[in-house]
Amino acid sequence: MSLSSLQKRLIQIWAFVFKNWIMTKRNVFSLFEILFWPVVGFFSVGLLTDFLKLNPDMSGFILVGIIAMSVIQVCQIDVAYVLLYDLWSKSIKHTFIAPVYLFDLVSGAWLIGIIRSFVVFLLLSFFSHLAFGFDFLRPGIGPLLLFLLGLFLTSVIVGMSVCILLLLFGYKADVAAWSLTSLMSLICGIYYPISILPFPLREIARVIPLTYFLEYFRSFYGFGPEMNPVLVFGFGLIAVYLIPEALLLKMVLHRARRIGTLIKLSE
Amino acid sequence: MAYAIVAEGIYKTFRSGWMGKRKKEALKNIELQIEEGEIFGILGPNGAGKTTLLSILSTLLLPDRGKVNILGIDVLQNGHRVREKVNISSGNANFLWSLTVKENLHFYGMLYGLMGKRREEKVEGLIELFDLNEHRDVPFDRLSTGMKQRLSLAKSLLNDPEILFLDEPTVGLDPDVSVRIREKILSIHHRRKMTILLTTHNMREAESLCQRLAFLKRGEILTTGAPSDLKRMVRIGDLLKIKFKGKISEDELLHAEGVINFTISEEFCEIMVDDIERRLGTLMTLLSQGGASIEKISFGQMDLEDVFIEFAKETDSDMGLCV
Repeated sequence: MSLSSLQKRLIQIWAFVFKNWIMTKRNVFSLFEILFWPVVGFFSVGLLTDFLKLNPDMSGFILVGIIAMSVIQVCQIDVAYVLLYDLWSKSIKHTFIAPVYLFDLVSGAWLIGIIRSFVVFLLLSFFSHLAFGFDFLRPGIGPLLLFLLGLFLTSVIVGMSVCILLLLFGYKADVAAWSLTSLMSLICGIYYPISILPFPLREIARVIPLTYFLEYFRSFYGFGPEMNPVLVFGFGLIAVYLIPEALLLKMVLHRARRIGTLIKLSE
Repeated sequence: MAYAIVAEGIYKTFRSGWMGKRKKEALKNIELQIEEGEIFGILGPNGAGKTTLLSILSTLLLPDRGKVNILGIDVLQNGHRVREKVNISSGNANFLWSLTVKENLHFYGMLYGLMGKRREEKVEGLIELFDLNEHRDVPFDRLSTGMKQRLSLAKSLLNDPEILFLDEPTVGLDPDVSVRIREKILSIHHRRKMTILLTTHNMREAESLCQRLAFLKRGEILTTGAPSDLKRMVRIGDLLKIKFKGKISEDELLHAEGVINFTISEEFCEIMVDDIERRLGTLMTLLSQGGASIEKISFGQMDLEDVFIEFAKETDSDMGLCV
C-alpha cells in the first residue's frame, strides 16, 4: 500500500470517528449512555453489595462484573451506531456509495467506542474506589490493560454482530444493540461464577471470550479461574470469532447490495 | 465515441414474502449506452424501475443478470474502483440529522479520502457554489427541503465525479426552487463536463435538462433518443389552439373530417387534427358558420408527456415500437 493510499484509508477511518463523536455530542441519549445508565447501574449494584454486607473481595467480584459490562455496552454500541445512525437518518446509501471498506467503518466506530468506554471505565473505577474502597489497580497496569483489551475486542465482536443483524433484518434488528449485551451478562458470569449456571448455559458461557477475561481479572482478587490458561482461551476465542465474523459482515453487505436492502433502508 | 456507461441485458427481480415467493420483476433486459459528457434522462412513471436502474449503475444494487461497465470498469468485478469515480444525489435527501451542513460535507469528504486543506477548500467551494453559506452551521434536520436538496447536490460533487447520478433531483420541491436546481445542474454540467444520468417522472424537467432520454415502463426501456427525435417518432397529430367568442358546436367538431380529439372551454378550444395544413381552412369555415368569432389561432407542440403516453399505449397494445 502506498503512503497516499494509507493516508486515504486513515482519513476514511477517521470519518467514522468524527461522525460518531458529533452524534454523541449532540444527542442527549448518547450522553446518557456514558454518564447516566452506567453510573446508576453501578451504584445500585454497589449499594446492594453494601446492604448484603459482602466481604470486600466478594464486592470486588461483582464490581468487576458491572464495570466490565458497562465498558462492553458502551463500546459495542458505538460499533453498532456506525450503521444505526445511517439507518435512522436513512442515509445508508450515501455511506455505501462511497469507496469505503467495512474495515474502515468498523475500525473508526470501534476507536470512538474505545474512547467513550474508557471514559466510562475511568469514571466507574473512580467511584468504586471512592464509594466502595475497591482498588482496580491492584493487579497492576499490565493485567488491567490486558483485561481492557479483552473487553474492547469482545465489544467489537458484539458490535459487528449487531451490524450483521442490521444488514440482514433492517430496523427490526436495532433492538439487538441493547439486548445482546444483556444476554451476555446473564451467561458470562457478571454477578456470579459460571459454575452456578445450569448445564447448557455453562457450556455456552465457555465459548464466550468475556467469561475468560472476567475470570482472568478476578483471579487477582482471590477467585481462581476455572479453566487455565484463561487469557489464551479468551484471546483464542476472539481470533476464532473475529475473522469469520468479518467475512460474514462482508457477505451480508454483498447480500444487501443483491437484494436491495441498502435502497430500502434509505427510503 | 467513448461510452461512460454501458449496460447489457440487465435483469432484476425483487422477492418478498415467505421464502421470497412473491416476485416483482423490476427490470427486464435493459440495454443502455450513455456517452461521456452527456446528460441522459431516464423517464417513467412511479414504479417503472428508474431508481432500481440507477441503483444498479451506481453500484448500490447488484443485477440478477447482465453486464454493467462504468468508464470501462466492470461494476460487478470492481465496484470499489467505480465508487471512486461516481456520486449520487437523490430527491428527498437524507443525511445525518445532527450534523450541520458543513459537518455533513466534511464527513462525506473524508469518506472520499479528502484530507486537510484540500477538503476544507472543497467544502468551502461547494458551500459557496450552492449558496449554503448562511446555513453552514445549521443541523440537517432544521434545513428546508430546498436546502437539503442543495446540500445533497453539494455532497455529490465532493469527489469531482466523472459520472453523477441524480435520482429525481427536484421531487417535492416548490416550482421556483426546482427551476433553480435545474439551472444549477446545467451550470455544473457546463463547467465540469461530467456525464449526468438523471431519473425523473417530470417530462418538462427531462426535456429541459437531457440531451437524450430513455422511456422506462414496467422495467422495460420503450425507446431512447433525443427529445426532438422522440417527438418526431410519434406523430399523433397537430394541435390547434383557438381563442374565440360566441359558440362552437361540439356536434359539428365531432363529425368534422380529420379531427382526432378536442376540448372546449368558455373562450378557448383545443383541437387535435391529423394534418393541420390540410384541415385548417375547412375547420375555420366550419367554426365561423357555427357562430364562433375567431380571435386568435396558435399551433401547440406536443410535449414529452404526450410522446410517453403514446409509446406506453403502443407497448400495451403490442403494436411494436417505431424505434
